Amino acid sequence: MDLQFSEDQIQFQQEVRDWIADHLERPFGQDIANPAHDADALVEIRRTWQRKLNDAGYLGMRWEKQWGGRGATEVEEAILNAELNRADAPKIPNTLGISLLGPALIHHGSEEQRKRFIPKMLSADEIWCQGFSEPGAGSDLASLRCRAEPDGDDFRIFGQKVWTTFGPWADWIFVLARTDPEDRYGGISFFLVPIEQEGVEMRPLKQITGESEFGEVFFDGALARREHIVGKLGEGWRIAMTVLGYERGASTLAGPAEYELQLKGLIGALAERGDLERPEIREEVGRLLIDNEVMRSNGLRTLANIASGNAPGPESSIEKIFWSEYHQRMTDSALDLLGPQGQLLARSNDARPEVDWAYQYLWSRAGTIYSGSSEIQRNIIAKRVLRMPTTR
Amino acid sequence: MQFDLNEDQALLRTSTRELLENEAALADTRAVMEETSEGYAKAMHGQLGELGYTGLLLPEEAGGMGAIAFAIVMAEMGRVAFPGPFLDLALAIRTLADCTGEVAESWLQKAISGESLVVLARTEDLTNADPARAAIHFDRGRISGSKVFVPFGAHADALLVSTAEGLALATRPGSGWNARELQTLDHAQRFVSIDFDDEAELIADAPAGADLLAQTTRLGALGASAQMLGLMERALEISVEYTSEREAFGAPIGSFQTLQHRCADMLIQTESTRSATFRAAWAEDHSPVEAEYLASVAKVWAGSAGRFVCGQAIQLLGGVGFTWEYDPHIFLKRIKTLEQFHGSARWHIENALQHSPLMES
Repeated sequence: MDLQFSEDQIQFQQEVRDWIADHLERPFGQDIANPAHDADALVEIRRTWQRKLNDAGYLGMRWEKQWGGRGATEVEEAILNAELNRADAPKIPNTLGISLLGPALIHHGSEEQRKRFIPKMLSADEIWCQGFSEPGAGSDLASLRCRAEPDGDDFRIFGQKVWTTFGPWADWIFVLARTDPEDRYGGISFFLVPIEQEGVEMRPLKQITGESEFGEVFFDGALARREHIVGKLGEGWRIAMTVLGYERGASTLAGPAEYELQLKGLIGALAERGDLERPEIREEVGRLLIDNEVMRSNGLRTLANIASGNAPGPESSIEKIFWSEYHQRMTDSALDLLGPQGQLLARSNDARPEVDWAYQYLWSRAGTIYSGSSEIQRNIIAKRVLRMPTTR
Repeated sequence: MQFDLNEDQALLRTSTRELLENEAALADTRAVMEETSEGYAKAMHGQLGELGYTGLLLPEEAGGMGAIAFAIVMAEMGRVAFPGPFLDLALAIRTLADCTGEVAESWLQKAISGESLVVLARTEDLTNADPARAAIHFDRGRISGSKVFVPFGAHADALLVSTAEGLALATRPGSGWNARELQTLDHAQRFVSIDFDDEAELIADAPAGADLLAQTTRLGALGASAQMLGLMERALEISVEYTSEREAFGAPIGSFQTLQHRCADMLIQTESTRSATFRAAWAEDHSPVEAEYLASVAKVWAGSAGRFVCGQAIQLLGGVGFTWEYDPHIFLKRIKTLEQFHGSARWHIENALQHSPLMES
């Protein structure tokens, strides 16, 4: 057992810290709190930040250098992501492009596709959104109905996608569409579709936070070119499931770093008003802090397992449930402890600037739903880890 | 980075599991619990001494095996709800090893061999077992005053008694301790309260004694967390086995999603306890600045996780889960007792806060 970073990794961590100190003008929280910034302005700040990361070689960390990556290890990627969160750096707008589509193109795409799409994905000149979920297909994704019909050499897409993160700002969408209605898994293909065209309607989808970072997309005969199919026809499901697993190590330390920043904000606020001396408040804050540390222990374990070449075990489902439920529990407590001030959005008058509490509270409700809901994760644990009997 | 045990550690786990399953299985725990007044098998302690287990916590140069080995062994003992004062003995041995003087040295050897039982007597307050300044006194070769909840104290050959003046060693008088038996939640425990008016020898002065007791709390928390991990592991296994076999409404009840999700939650709690406990053990050996903080984190987490997991084991077994015959109650009782000692959740939460980097700003 060895839970320490190597000397090289510690050096990398220091390099990242120095780079962030030189390049991040202010915590992103201050941008959010600035009432002059509308949603578009915040996206531009994120785009600019992504370009800086790209210029420094901090994107596509594990991709080969020929594809604009760094050829780094998962440990280094996890260190980078933790440091970015620790500094409250803006999140990049092309998250899903880089975490899902990039690996899909590198491992399953054609040479032409990689050359055409990867550079602009990294430079944020083209923003990608993900077209997987549908109104009738969420957790049961394979029941998706959006279809692609042959049209000469190419395809026409019909149907609807929803929960498309960054859809309103996206230039392209990667879509899972049905090419064979009879074959549940083998009848799904992976298409790259431009959004600026007849037959695609992108509507912003207003979320419970009040913002519209997500969209819903309606396809009515949108053109998808044959050369823009990733992999072969019918390989879409397999490719999607493979790439969903690539990112397992990258964020293991990022969650605890982000939540620690929020806890720090909470502790600061409570200390200022003298509440941190009250035993019942100390106990509640102490438990939040302890749970976060346990989450970091889980993360270190996952990372250590990956670093020593072990196949990912039950850890990823455990971690997903842990961080998403923790964030709900933590923000729930924080809002109680903060009193009326906890109700304020960061951009509001009289708000504390460090944490966008009201937003975080609402946003935390998404975590237990996306990327495999908590219920799906528990099914996975019961069936694949505990090997409990199946019905029938 | 690597979370897996190395070869030696993996071997230690395998051999400890074999030893305990052969010589001290849960059935033996029951026999000891139900049929002996000592609450532990003395011969087993001798065997553990011969095999080097009792000196597990000694500094490495004195034959100890390090904190990760300690956690491995304690987790294995948790799996069989190993009865008796092994943890208390291991802690007393470590304490004796850090004291100087002939008395400490001679008791150290007898304790390591498993021939004599030595434990710490710390608690004075029936309402609070948390680490506190001792009120009872050592004066001119005698200790006078009372301790409560001394683990397996009635049969202890010597006691390390915390006093206002430091740590004192008292040898059991020929007439035995002036002890009152306590009947407690965990039927496998043998706590006593002792009124002292006995000869004793000071083996550490007040400042040194305080350091030793702090070390005992930290290592005790780590050992308790590891033991709770083993208890949870086994409670979960029993739950999955039972619900996979037991049929109702024409299907194994373990195929029902409610029960599957419950077991999934038990796994999350158990595995998170493993992450926290082994990280704390690793820090004990390799990262002393974090060791105390991480031991407290592990103890708090393990306590509430253990309560949940072992409580649910009773629930999942249904009616038989409430019977003496089935095992889950043994696990729940041990968890609830361990949660109280080696620092309560409340104490460790405060300790974690005081050692958290977040509180410094």
